[in-house]
Amino acid sequence: MSIQVHDHDTWLESAALYVIDAMTDEERRTFETHLRDCEQCRAEVASLQGVDEALASAVPQVDPPAALRDRVLASVLGSEPATRLEPRRAEGMAQWLPLAASLVLSLGLGGYAYSLQQRIAVLEDALTSARAQAADTLARAEATQRTLQLTQTHLDVLTAPDSTRVALAGQPTAPGASGRADWSPARGLALSLENLPPLQPGRTYQVWLLTAGMPVSAGLLTPDAAGRSTIVYSVPPGDVAATGIALSEEPANGVPQPTGQIVLVGLLARAG
Amino acid sequence: MWLAMVAAGRGPRAVEPSQERHLLQRMTQGDGDALRELYDRHARAVYSLAVRILRSQADAEDVVQEVFTQAWVQAARYDASRGTVAAWLLMQARSRAIDRLRGRKLRPENAASVPETRDPGAGADAQVLAGQYAGRVREALNTLTAPQRTAVELAFFEGLTYSQVAEQLNQPIGTVKTRIRQGLLRLKAALDDVRTGRGVS
Repeated sequence: MSIQVHDHDTWLESAALYVIDAMTDEERRTFETHLRDCEQCRAEVASLQGVDEALASAVPQVDPPAALRDRVLASVLGSEPATRLEPRRAEGMAQWLPLAASLVLSLGLGGYAYSLQQRIAVLEDALTSARAQAADTLARAEATQRTLQLTQTHLDVLTAPDSTRVALAGQPTAPGASGRADWSPARGLALSLENLPPLQPGRTYQVWLLTAGMPVSAGLLTPDAAGRSTIVYSVPPGDVAATGIALSEEPANGVPQPTGQIVLVGLLARAG
Repeated sequence: MWLAMVAAGRGPRAVEPSQERHLLQRMTQGDGDALRELYDRHARAVYSLAVRILRSQADAEDVVQEVFTQAWVQAARYDASRGTVAAWLLMQARSRAIDRLRGRKLRPENAASVPETRDPGAGADAQVLAGQYAGRVREALNTLTAPQRTAVELAFFEGLTYSQVAEQLNQPIGTVKTRIRQGLLRLKAALDDVRTGRGVS
């Protein structure tokens, strides 16, 4: 479980990048989520409003070709210029009335259809936004749930009557690495590791329970950017009589038996 | 959605001339004259921005056509709390121009060069005013340090993300982010001076 910590200056820098659209789509979405909860960043974005327009207006001004106006207007408005309908007085009322009636009717219907269309557009926007918020809330709730479960499992291991704590020592490949393991044969293995060297692409760390025979894999882990990892594994199947804990560096999907460099090792005290 | 909240809840922002909003309103009712007026007011700025980004008159003309077509179709979606009508049109233009720029990245030699332009040219009053404003904003831009300005311009006119800017300038990402922020803050301060008539120092 690695938690990414943004210090707030980083977010303020994001506000500037957001205003002139200098971030990836994904970063923009992340920032927009942050904006919902952050008054300070909203104020920053609001204070920079207008800078984008200023930049866009600061370019040398060039007259567009005159023909472009006709082309644009014709393509948008259709080739026939809009003319105002005027009642032709020469014709009798009898002829004009149905025309006026149908005109009023069609204008009315057109207006109604248009206003419906607008309302649908507004509702669609509201729906999209509500869906996004619901999905966001759900995702957060799930993340919180996972964190809680993990914390609970961690606590279970630490407080298990059969739990043993062992310090893990960095090996020559990673002398700075260190960690702590709590092993409960009944409940599982909890690890808290620091200063792990960054992994090469396509590699992972794998945790092993050392036994009198072959080591047994407890699981994989990827440290955060600072080289830290806090993780809990359930008890591997089979009756494992662990004599120690080790961490090795392996291909991304893990291996049945350790093949790579050992990074951390700690031996469990023999039960007296 | 949130931007609307920001603007509603937050400080004074320049009130969009109701005239401009009214134009868009008339457009939603199918008033072609309103579109003509919108075009006459803003086509020059939109075209100039597209020329600056694309360095091709033909491509810039296409962008103008797209922007005003879109304005006609989506006039009802304009939201005054998010910025002026000019900003709305210009940001459409920027995003469309940059899409094109990215599309042709592999064959840049196709872009015809554009002769240096006269500024300001003859035009409607509004456009002359826009030209004067552009001049003052350019002065404001001159208050940025060269590295700030380069970073901001690469992002805004070339459509690069900050990490691409960093790569292009061979600078650490953190440095580029800081430069962009400092540059925008400085530009903002200079613009506030322009608006309050204090002039750019």
